[in-house]
Amino acid sequence: MANGQQPNMLKIENLHASVGDKQILKGINLEVKAGEVHAIMGTNGSGKSTLASVLAGNEKFTVTEGKVTFLGENMLELPIEDRARKGLFLGFQYPVEIPGVTMANFMKIAVNEKRKYNGQQPLTAAEFLKLMREKSAIVELDSKLTARAVNEGFSGGEKKKNEIFQMAMLEPTLSILDETDSGLDIDALRIVATGVTRLKREDNATVVITHYQRLLDYIVPDYVHVLYKGRIIYSGDKSLALKLEKEGYDWLINDYKE
Amino acid sequence: MTFEELISSGALRPFKGGVIDSSVSTSLPLVAHNIKSLKVDIAAEQQVRLVVAYTKSCQAAVEINLAPNSSLELVEVYLADSYANITVNQAENSRCKSLVALLRSSNATYTYALNGRNAESVFDALFIASGSEHATLNLNTRHLISDCRSASLVKGISAGRATGEFHGLVYVAQDAQRTDAQQQNRNIELDNSHIVALPQLEIYADDVRCSHGSTVGYSDAEAIFYMRQRGISEADARRLQIEGFVQDVVSRCQMEPVCALVHEAVTDKLSKI
Repeated sequence: MANGQQPNMLKIENLHASVGDKQILKGINLEVKAGEVHAIMGTNGSGKSTLASVLAGNEKFTVTEGKVTFLGENMLELPIEDRARKGLFLGFQYPVEIPGVTMANFMKIAVNEKRKYNGQQPLTAAEFLKLMREKSAIVELDSKLTARAVNEGFSGGEKKKNEIFQMAMLEPTLSILDETDSGLDIDALRIVATGVTRLKREDNATVVITHYQRLLDYIVPDYVHVLYKGRIIYSGDKSLALKLEKEGYDWLINDYKE
Repeated sequence: MTFEELISSGALRPFKGGVIDSSVSTSLPLVAHNIKSLKVDIAAEQQVRLVVAYTKSCQAAVEINLAPNSSLELVEVYLADSYANITVNQAENSRCKSLVALLRSSNATYTYALNGRNAESVFDALFIASGSEHATLNLNTRHLISDCRSASLVKGISAGRATGEFHGLVYVAQDAQRTDAQQQNRNIELDNSHIVALPQLEIYADDVRCSHGSTVGYSDAEAIFYMRQRGISEADARRLQIEGFVQDVVSRCQMEPVCALVHEAVTDKLSKI
């Protein structure tokens, strides 16, 4: 649960970002502490996915102003892979297919890069296989999929389960899940959400980006933030998600002057 | 292991050309190494595996004739700058499965003449040009009679300041009804390199099933971002993506122990681009 004594894991201050000439994030402020679950909600085009991409370091976007501190370090200066190795995980809304690269090979490199970064020895082949078996069980991922190319020919549900499987393998400190619930049927949603809940610990944190309240029935947030036109215009506890589900966003948007 | 070591290990049987009939042992793959010219006549019903390796710069002319009901599995590997002309004439019910790995500044021309009904040609090839290399692969598949099948998959990569060229022609004669011809060409162009892709169909028969496709792509930025987000370095992500791109062609090579060597040569080449 939220704990006022904890130092910030992630601190976003006045973050502005653009793609081309278009300003998308217009001053985001957010603090996330260990053990917390934050939900970011908002209408299409409010900047939710851009925020996730910018934090992960997607070079498509340019940060024009502001500061992001992750575990005491200026995160905006770190290359994409170092943010990941340091413990930042992005669950993609649209996981990318990588033909010819097997899941097992992909994960082996990823896990060992992170271990190297943290001064640990690489896993042996046997240790790695054991880890794969354990973690694929968390999201009920068919073990045959790990022999296939990354996301290639995976169904929508399998792709999302695969994101959570990778999250389980990499044991991130901070996970940002970008619309992990989109396109899932109720069974897949339950499996994915249960997986995320099982990975929750006192020393990690999760930011869930979603359109719908239904995911938050499973992953109960400590805070809910509403993003609108590139700014967080309102924050509340989990009851805010229920109110948004019932009443929509209009009551907030109408109040908000740019 | 090098090709020279593989040959001297006795895993392949050196071959200078001639008729291959039941008097010739084909239990081991045959190998022609740095040849100038090679003429091979495969007798009816024979099943032959043949490796042609270019490890020294050479100019080679290869002619292979497949008699009815014979089959050939051909692996051609270019590890030196070479100029090669390969013609395969196929009689009825013959089958030729070729795998080409062109890994240097070479110019190779493959002509498959499907002369007998129900002949089949399967052609898988990979060319990789880096530095200032210029690799050219020409493929000419000639359907000269009815009821033959051909399928080709050619993948090309260019990097550095190199040029890679693919010229592919599927020719279907007027009498070659019920031809089934598929030609696929996929390329990746990296750095300041250049790909030239010219796939062509020339069809004079009216009852045929022919398809061809050719693409030139670049490094996939989304895939690179995805891999880096998992902690994989940019260089490794790029290497994985390119290895993945050629994986299907490489995995179609099934003639051991030659293919392990081909795989190694491809990996080695890719690690330097």
